[in-house]
Amino acid sequence: MLIFAFLFSTILLPLVDHLESQIKSRALSVLIVTISLISAIIIFLKSFASGMLRQAREFSSQIETKGYAENLNSLAVRLELALKKHVNIPDIDSSNIVSKINDMVGDIIQNLVSLAGTIGGFIFTAIMVLIFTIILLANYHEFKKSLVQFIPNKYFEMGLRLIFNVEHQVSNYLQGQLLAASSVAIMSIIGLYILNATGANLTLVVFIGIIAGLANLIPLVGPFAGMLPAILVAVMNNIGSEAALSHQLFSTVPSPFYILDIILMFLIVQQIDNNLVTPILVGESVGIHPLVVMIALLIGGTLIGPLGMLLAVPATGILKVVGREIMFLTRNAHLL
Amino acid sequence: MKNAYWTNLFKNWGKTESETVTIIKKIPIFTELNKKELNEVSKLLHDRTYKPEEYVFKRHAPGEGMFIIQSGAVKIIVGETSGNSQVLAELSNGDFFGEMALLEDEVRSAAAIATDHSRLLGFFRSDLQILIERKPALGNKILQNLSKVVCTRLRKTNELLIQEQSDK
Repeated sequence: MLIFAFLFSTILLPLVDHLESQIKSRALSVLIVTISLISAIIIFLKSFASGMLRQAREFSSQIETKGYAENLNSLAVRLELALKKHVNIPDIDSSNIVSKINDMVGDIIQNLVSLAGTIGGFIFTAIMVLIFTIILLANYHEFKKSLVQFIPNKYFEMGLRLIFNVEHQVSNYLQGQLLAASSVAIMSIIGLYILNATGANLTLVVFIGIIAGLANLIPLVGPFAGMLPAILVAVMNNIGSEAALSHQLFSTVPSPFYILDIILMFLIVQQIDNNLVTPILVGESVGIHPLVVMIALLIGGTLIGPLGMLLAVPATGILKVVGREIMFLTRNAHLL
Repeated sequence: MKNAYWTNLFKNWGKTESETVTIIKKIPIFTELNKKELNEVSKLLHDRTYKPEEYVFKRHAPGEGMFIIQSGAVKIIVGETSGNSQVLAELSNGDFFGEMALLEDEVRSAAAIATDHSRLLGFFRSDLQILIERKPALGNKILQNLSKVVCTRLRKTNELLIQEQSDK
């Protein structure tokens, strides 16, 4: 909780400091920034939830009018046949696919109960993180000063320099990550609109783009997590449509419901982000060579998985600054 | 009940200024600052204590900011402490040193050693940078005052140089 509160306050600190310089009140600046952020999250969640509900309602009406079971069964048979033409897959028993889905729905309802408990826990953690963030934002500079006073006289000036540099690097890195996430969101939205122009019939485009951008903050897993809602919406919107079912990517590879088109679009966005946007924005903000960023991501991922990848670059940035200062200290130890 | 309410409401009215504010308002860098601004600056200062003969900083060490002597004494020296060192100045209560480091990221041109048990107030470049971002008007006043101090030093150096040349 404290780590997340620290990360949030590091991201929001420049904004609060800037606002304070305009309205000359720290408390009011923290209040305005926090309320704006909470409002933005609530508006996003509310419109996302209402959009999802509308989508679900349309989907359920589609099921009633078009005969969901028949469509799904014929779809399964067609998919099986289409795939068999191109790939060797073991036989799928498509006849009882509807009964399997019924069982799955039962499981989902059971899981919903445990989900309610998890959501409760999440809300508690979110509120605690929010409170810690507000306290840190309001008293950040005083808090830092009270920590700094424990540094011995001999290392005091060097310690201040080190803290300032590390703080600067971490803040730049986090802002770089946010910029990269925004660029993924924008590129995804553009990509989805392009797919719509070719007849993909996707809705909730902006929300899917924002989710893809946010998911991008978690390396490796994130990009795929961003893809899923788009595929789900494409299937829900196009079920029963012959044209969507028989759609072919580049008029050669079968891509029912534009699934392959969506995957390809997200892969292109990811490639642009990984090879162009992130190394430039994130790599430069921490002052680390793009190659080192990639090696750090690999090491972090191998050691502690996705979380390791998320923390790899700021950790490398901190290590670089600390290493540079230690080298400087060892060269000039006689001066302390 | 009513008395306690009014007492709390006006508790700061009779309050005298802090020891730190009393000292820093006499420092040329903080002149022309009002009470509120002085209080703001005093929150940024780092209170440090030094034993006799303890280095505040050494010559050629990276400089991060200035020090104000709250109590005690400090000498500024150039050269080696072992032998051929030269005392440039002996400073005491209310004096300040190292202010050049507020403006530039350079090494110290002289060393500072506490000659007595001393309490110093440190004001550092990183704090000044944050102050400029958070309160630009106050940051500008301090920078302006700092420029005046540097100008005065430069003028004095020029006068000394002229005097030395005319003596020759």
